[in-house]
Amino acid sequence: SFSIFNSLSYLKNLVKKMSALRACADGGANRLYHITEGSQDSFLPDYISGDFDSIQPEVKEYYKVKGCELIETMDQDLTDFTKCLQILQKKIEKKGLQIDVIVTLGGLGGRFDQTMASVETLFHATNITPFPVIVIQECSLIYLLQPGKHKLRVDTGLEGAWCGLIPIGNSCESVTTTGLRWNLTNQLLKFGTLVSTSNTYDDSGIVTIETDKPLLWTMAIKR
Amino acid sequence: VCFAFTSFDFKLLGHGNLKFCLLILNQPFDKGHFHCLWSKAALRACADGGANRLYHITEGSQDSFLPDYISGDFDSIQPEVKEYYKVKGCELIETMDQDLTDFTKCLQILQKKIEKKGLQIDVIVTLGGLGGRFDQTMASVETLFHATNITPFPVIVIQECSLIYLLQPGKHKLRVDTGLEGAWCGLIPIGNSCESVTTTGLRWNLTNQLLKFGTLVSTSNTYDDSGIVTIETDKPLLWTMAIKR
Repeated sequence: SFSIFNSLSYLKNLVKKMSALRACADGGANRLYHITEGSQDSFLPDYISGDFDSIQPEVKEYYKVKGCELIETMDQDLTDFTKCLQILQKKIEKKGLQIDVIVTLGGLGGRFDQTMASVETLFHATNITPFPVIVIQECSLIYLLQPGKHKLRVDTGLEGAWCGLIPIGNSCESVTTTGLRWNLTNQLLKFGTLVSTSNTYDDSGIVTIETDKPLLWTMAIKR
Repeated sequence: VCFAFTSFDFKLLGHGNLKFCLLILNQPFDKGHFHCLWSKAALRACADGGANRLYHITEGSQDSFLPDYISGDFDSIQPEVKEYYKVKGCELIETMDQDLTDFTKCLQILQKKIEKKGLQIDVIVTLGGLGGRFDQTMASVETLFHATNITPFPVIVIQECSLIYLLQPGKHKLRVDTGLEGAWCGLIPIGNSCESVTTTGLRWNLTNQLLKFGTLVSTSNTYDDSGIVTIETDKPLLWTMAIKR
């Protein structure tokens, strides 16, 4: 049980100040390159990993020349995201870093299959890293809750209005919450029966969720 | 064991033979898809804020694109949009059930109208529902699960370059040689694991394969040259594919 959403208040400072490590998964380097146009050299990732079938040649060359580590990972059974996470964990251990959360930018928009692949990586993340992994894109955030009790602070001012609990890979026989507009008590969550979407918060500023099986938490974040 | 063969040809949706209904949700959708689908639909409906999308995408000629009905709890539809369609004679059906999404309720009404008019339908096409808010995307998937109890017709959801369709247990055959398919496809065990999935026609086929989040999910798959994909599954399994705009 822990509270990770204090980190939401760091989001605005993420790139510059608070990130201990910064990485791109393959074509993520293209995104970084274009969003930092004009000052790419102030935004150099620590490494770029993947099978390099998405990264543009000029982007790859730019970061290579600037001294970013390029790590080619050829395993076709794992997504670039998963492989990037594996490398990240190794570097965290090697550097002995104290980490609260791994924040992933992108992964929830565009191709539906890629969105599902991002969710799949969250399932594998439990075996890759002990740190919570969250995925953020546009106004959405997702985070996979492992079985047990969780406490989330939702009073940082960066939360949007909606939230939800998605039994995405498996049904959850018993889910109990506090702090939501529509709370659950020992509730079965299951596609075809009940999925919690368009939920929101009460005034307590804290949400607790107890689940017997992995359960995907999703919420709105302000831009 | 129950075998259900489904075969629908996306291309025909815009070119004649396939009979379908069109349902518009409150998310941005592609003008290309819209125009291709609107003219050939047997029935056209908007779920709440889907009416806003329709109104804006048909700017300048809204009166040539009037839905048969707009349903929902009307907390998303803009007042001027609601007024416009009301004045133009579109049926407005308020549905207050808070346990069901606007999409689900709109589907229930659609099925009643299909029955009432005795329409022969091959598929129900939903525009929007896969982009924007992640919880809304999941709500669209949830509606597909409920759709089995609402309508006997297949329901597909399309937004931008993605299409999703929930395969019920059994055997399915999909034609993928219409020219409107994009490169990628996938099989997503959303909601439950599938103990045994067997496919043909994919680049990476499965044989009695377990599909399960945390074990294996088929994404970034593609096609072989046969033009036909068959999928046999023991549990509900979400098919997703790229479509061209």
